[in-house]
Amino acid sequence: MQMLLKGKNAVITGSLKGIGLSTVDLFARNGANIWACAQYQDAAFESHIRELSAENNVWIKPLYFDLLDPEKIKSAYQEIRESKERVDILVNIAGMTHDALFHMTTMEQMKKVFEVNFFSQMLLTQYITKIMMRNKAGSVINISSISAIDGNPGQLAYTASKAAIIGATKTLSAELAGYGIRVNAIAPGVIDTEMTKNLPADVLKRLMGKSDLKHLGLPSEVAGVILFLASDMSSYMTGQVLRVDGGIG
Amino acid sequence: MAVSDNGGKMLLHKKNAVITGCAHGIGKAILELFAENGANIWACAHTKTDEFEAMTRSLSEQYHVEIRPLYFDLHDQEQVKSAAKSITSQKLQVDILVNNAGITYNALFLMSSMEKMREVFEINFFAPFLFSQYIAKAMMKQRKGSIIHISSSAGIDGNAGRSVYGASKAAVICATKAMAAELGESGVRVNSIAPGITRTTMLSSMTEKVIEETILQTAMKRMGNPDDIAKAVLFLASDMSSYVTGQVIRVDGGM
Repeated sequence: MQMLLKGKNAVITGSLKGIGLSTVDLFARNGANIWACAQYQDAAFESHIRELSAENNVWIKPLYFDLLDPEKIKSAYQEIRESKERVDILVNIAGMTHDALFHMTTMEQMKKVFEVNFFSQMLLTQYITKIMMRNKAGSVINISSISAIDGNPGQLAYTASKAAIIGATKTLSAELAGYGIRVNAIAPGVIDTEMTKNLPADVLKRLMGKSDLKHLGLPSEVAGVILFLASDMSSYMTGQVLRVDGGIG
Repeated sequence: MAVSDNGGKMLLHKKNAVITGCAHGIGKAILELFAENGANIWACAHTKTDEFEAMTRSLSEQYHVEIRPLYFDLHDQEQVKSAAKSITSQKLQVDILVNNAGITYNALFLMSSMEKMREVFEINFFAPFLFSQYIAKAMMKQRKGSIIHISSSAGIDGNAGRSVYGASKAAVICATKAMAAELGESGVRVNSIAPGITRTTMLSSMTEKVIEETILQTAMKRMGNPDDIAKAVLFLASDMSSYVTGQVIRVDGGM
């Protein structure tokens, strides 16, 4: 028996909490070495990844940068490149929500959401896939949202930025397939994270009622699907958007 | 590939699975991968042959799992029913059902016969539907289960010459979503895999030219192998996909 990511190297953004942290945990348990990217340094996080790496006999390097700063993204890339390690997997998880009705959304807010959820991720993906292209192999996993497919009143900027991710996923999958790189996206439904903690109880109840499984998803359940797309289990899949939503619509 | 999602147990350790169409192609690949990953299996096939019996015996010895061959003809409702009952009457938990068996039919719309149309729907839709009714009932009692239908990219895209086959697979997709909605509350997940062009005997019904053109349409510029499909089925069968239901997952190299 083998672990799914034995000897693979992965870049994961948004590693501090929620889906990102679950993904770091699951990847490490499956033998992956990880550049765990986060917005800011955190002592609890650092001690957690130290333990995780010792337990699983892998290395986990924290990398801190703000997605609003393209220069910082570039230096993170340079640090990865200079390590001379292969990069097999890129998981773009970091993102932000913004709740406002269409007419109440300022252009400034709209641009900020797109900066974090789309432009910065494209920049990082350009850098990392350059490394992958040399190896003629790789798997990129983007995190979109079911609200990008279904729409969600009061989340115009967020849903539009996540819809852009889907378009990019499909185009990139076609452009990079010739280099052996697969590009897929995940569209999570309502997952028990900080992002959904602020949802009003009645909205949460309505969403649960719409799902076939009638319960919230756990971050670890999204991580399981990311693991599938990162691993060789999905060897013939590219350009796909997988809904992980307990069956909503 | 025997895999683990946690560095410990195999993905289907001690799970019981029913797989139809195990004699060759995608079904055989699913059978092998499930056995390798620790599942006990009711291996369903159309006809009893020495070759099939020997294959299941050797898999069972190699991976220390139980494999029980089960023979029935999907054309015959009575056989489908008694096969399902012979499974549920064993009082074992049925964790996974893979409705894989199917037939293909390539013909232009105007040339498609009603007789053939009825046969394709009988095998690709009615029979697995009936079979699932019995197995799903057992799963609902357990309050856990995963049902995986094998659909086709032809059931989504609609390809010339595949009006009958594509329509039968589209029916499977719709049933997948409706079943997911009905069975979700009972803890039963229902999903479907839509393979693209895959290296199986079904290809013999396509001309060389059509096969080449289809491969060119894929982003990966290659045909899928039965094992590529089996791995996606393994994902849906396992707890890795515990929050995934009602989905149709294309495994098509990017079309």
